[in-house]
Amino acid sequence: MSLRRYFARARWDRERADEIRAHIEHHIDDLVARGVSPEEARRQAIRDFGNAAVIREQIYDMNSVPVLETVMRDARYACRILRKSPAFTLTAVLTLALAIGVNTAVFSVVDAVLLKPLPYPAADRLALLSRIERRQGAEGTGTSVDGLTWQLVRDQVASAESAVFSTWITGVNLVVPVGSGGGQARHVRQQRVGHGFFAVLRVRPMIGREFTADEDTVGGPPATILSAELWRSLFNADPAILGRSIMLRGLPFVVVGVMPDGFQSGERADLWTPLRPGTTGEGGGENYQILLRLRDNASRASISGELVLVGDALRAARPPEDDRHISFGVLPLNRGLTAALREPLLMLWGAVGVVLLVACVNLAGLLLARSSRRVREIATRMALGSGRGAVVRQLLVESGVLGLLGCGAGIAIALVALDMLTWLARDAYEIWQPVALDGRSLAAAVGLSLAASVLFGLAPALQAARLDVQAGLTQSGARSIAGTSSRSPRRLIVIAQVALGAVLLVGAGLLLRTFTHLRGLEPGFSPEGLVTAAVSLEDDRYRTALRVTELFDRALEQLRRTPGIESAAVALEVPYRRLLNMGFRFLDGPQAAAERGAITNATYVTPDFFGVLQIPIRRGRTLGSSDSHAAAPVIVVSDAFVRTYSSDEDPIGRRIRIAGSDREIVGVVGDIQVRPSWGSNGPLKAMPLVYMPAAQVNDAFLNLVHGWFAPTFVVRSSQTSRDTAAALRRALDAVDPLLPFADVRPMSDVRAATLAPQRFLAALLAGLAAVAVLLAAIGIHGLIATAVSERTREIGIRMALGATMARVMRTVAMPGVVLSAIGVAAGLAASYGTARLIRSFLWGISANDPLTFGLVAAVLLGVAAAASTMPALRLLRLDPAATLRHE
Amino acid sequence: MTARRQQPKPAEQADVLQGTLDMLVLQSLLLGPAHGYTIARIIQQRSDDQLQVGQGSLYPALHRLEDRRWIASFWGTSENNRRARYYRLTQTGRRQLVAETNRWQHLVRAVGRVLRPLEDGP
Repeated sequence: MSLRRYFARARWDRERADEIRAHIEHHIDDLVARGVSPEEARRQAIRDFGNAAVIREQIYDMNSVPVLETVMRDARYACRILRKSPAFTLTAVLTLALAIGVNTAVFSVVDAVLLKPLPYPAADRLALLSRIERRQGAEGTGTSVDGLTWQLVRDQVASAESAVFSTWITGVNLVVPVGSGGGQARHVRQQRVGHGFFAVLRVRPMIGREFTADEDTVGGPPATILSAELWRSLFNADPAILGRSIMLRGLPFVVVGVMPDGFQSGERADLWTPLRPGTTGEGGGENYQILLRLRDNASRASISGELVLVGDALRAARPPEDDRHISFGVLPLNRGLTAALREPLLMLWGAVGVVLLVACVNLAGLLLARSSRRVREIATRMALGSGRGAVVRQLLVESGVLGLLGCGAGIAIALVALDMLTWLARDAYEIWQPVALDGRSLAAAVGLSLAASVLFGLAPALQAARLDVQAGLTQSGARSIAGTSSRSPRRLIVIAQVALGAVLLVGAGLLLRTFTHLRGLEPGFSPEGLVTAAVSLEDDRYRTALRVTELFDRALEQLRRTPGIESAAVALEVPYRRLLNMGFRFLDGPQAAAERGAITNATYVTPDFFGVLQIPIRRGRTLGSSDSHAAAPVIVVSDAFVRTYSSDEDPIGRRIRIAGSDREIVGVVGDIQVRPSWGSNGPLKAMPLVYMPAAQVNDAFLNLVHGWFAPTFVVRSSQTSRDTAAALRRALDAVDPLLPFADVRPMSDVRAATLAPQRFLAALLAGLAAVAVLLAAIGIHGLIATAVSERTREIGIRMALGATMARVMRTVAMPGVVLSAIGVAAGLAASYGTARLIRSFLWGISANDPLTFGLVAAVLLGVAAAASTMPALRLLRLDPAATLRHE
Repeated sequence: MTARRQQPKPAEQADVLQGTLDMLVLQSLLLGPAHGYTIARIIQQRSDDQLQVGQGSLYPALHRLEDRRWIASFWGTSENNRRARYYRLTQTGRRQLVAETNRWQHLVRAVGRVLRPLEDGP
């Protein structure tokens, strides 16, 4: 009530005035009716009424809220003051808005991905089994386990519900019925989960049920659960879909359920199929994840006891020569599902935090500079009786108003920045959590801007509190030579700005150098003109090697006849991608005596592969059409394979056992860059690689690897990639119209996809560093510009006494460069520490890469010199005589 | 401001005059809606000109009473054909008047007993 009236006071007061006027008029009417003359009546009525102004004031005050009253008055005054210096206001608000904007946007992502609980009931009880492997002092942690571990956990861990699933999401072929009898093949994303997976998550299908144990065993009835999005888009949200069969992976799968809208379990999936865990094949390697839900009465201690037993049982089941020590733990599910995003996001958060810091420092600098210009005004107010408290409050309210303005603009920037951020990140990272500017982000924005503005408004406010009124009134202004004491905080501010800018610039520089290093890597083949197209062969129609090779042969035949396509081949995977890892062992030669096998990347290729990619032959021969199904199994290995496993002798003629067959090495080819899947976390590396002829792999191997990888056609073409894509589609249609391509893209896009995280982080950090450097430059410019205007008179005297222009300019501009040099030194020293924090993002350069550090120093000093010289140039127009006459 | 003043504070109870003016205003509105000048006239006449309400001080009281929602106001046209702000009693105001009147009579009786002529005691 009163608050409402408080804001409507002006209108209220006008009403009261009207009312009082009416009262007096009535009184006059009365008196006149009794025969008093009108003039006398008016006099008497006014006298009887008393002092109307006092009464109105009394009522006005009854509507007041004292604290609000002063704050509103201060705020109004602040707005007036800020309007009077638009350049300052604009700079301050933009500085703050930029920092708040990027911070709010990044916070929204951090909050959605890392901070908010996962969208499952009681998500804090959910965990992933983690596996810690120690061998010869080296330790590795992961969440992938084999089928035996799953059986042990399922049977021996009583304090948690458990379910097995795979995070390896693959594209599979779905035939959507079109019209009568026909069908159209679609590529959809499939996640495979075990029986009980959704129950452990506590998410029920929206309609239908989840997989039964029967469906989740090898040879069980094929069943699938659809995502709500797929159900709506392809099946018109028809509830009768339950119990019907859809052609998935070349087989009729019965739809048993539809998950609720928006449900995701780690990565975007269109449908789920039973995992059917085993202990051989896929289950023989570490290809499963185990989801755990701690029971209500269980603690983390009780589960770790049970996990020790699992570790013991696993050791007992392994061959004695296996010297790995394996133990198990639990990893909170949100940590497990966001592992890939955690470090990049935290780094990004740190970087925008630095930008915020730079902005705050900048703001403090701006406010300080302003308050030293306002010394006279403040001193006058104090001399007129304003308390120090009132002045401090006024200055703080001013910063608060700036903060709110910056916050408003910042939220607008955040909306754009968030869109840009998710757009930039879409190739680099899969973010499946809903990201939005919600109440939490907005609260963070408001909190940050108020904290930043008030905190940094404190410096000038405190300075004002110490102000000597008399000195302020007599010494300020252009009459005096510039005192040095009031500028020392501003010097510190310039140093801090430059140092923070240096830290960001070094980070950005290191990431850019990493990115250029990775892009500059010799690919090992000639990527120009290559187009790749993947097809999923996790399909019942292609369960035998015979059918697969027939498909390849016929499709390649079609492609070769297509004009514009120079050559074509098929491989299980292409360069720049993660390849299959396989254990193998030498059957002869010195390494055959080793007890343990070794690991290599492996792929199958059609014979023309090396010719199509133009991979150079080092020794022996490549594969040919004579290496058929019936011929003796052969392989070609990469240089890196020879370097790693067979460096001291000729590998040609050596025999190794891999993929279930004994194979002879007939050739060595040059290395190609692939995404390492073991031994390195780097994005690209020349890995040991074994090439098998596609015609010489067995059915079991094909079925296993086609569940993980989509074989890829590679064509060398002189046409545009769009024409090539159409040619590829026509060729495949001629052979099997129900086989969709997952994606058709030029080889350059394959590399771009692999390096997307590096490009994303480098670009983002470079942008943030540019903002920081710009802010630092504004700070330096401001410092020197103020010095120039404060010292105009002094400089005039100096020049009148014979100082040269060059000398004067040097004196004025030099502090900017000197302070920046100190800032650069401090920033580089700090970067030496912070660069270590981002070491896991760096490849091919060291964390204290001298070139980066040197370049950063050069760039910052150059910017500082420019920012200092620009205001000093104003002196060129200075007329010493005029300056002296002035005032 | 309303909630805070719903129950008169001890300090205000002592301020008899202020409380009294409130009561007089409420009482004068029992007859029907009236504007400020009329209210002042009513109080003056009903007290046989014994009580001379400072006309100006009527308005803070009216504002206070309206703030407590004991009276409500609206703009109307007076008998002299002038625009005037009219006040009328609300339900709460009516209840308040009864309570105030009771309390006043109670007070008057109590004060009367204290001030009665001394009698010889036993």
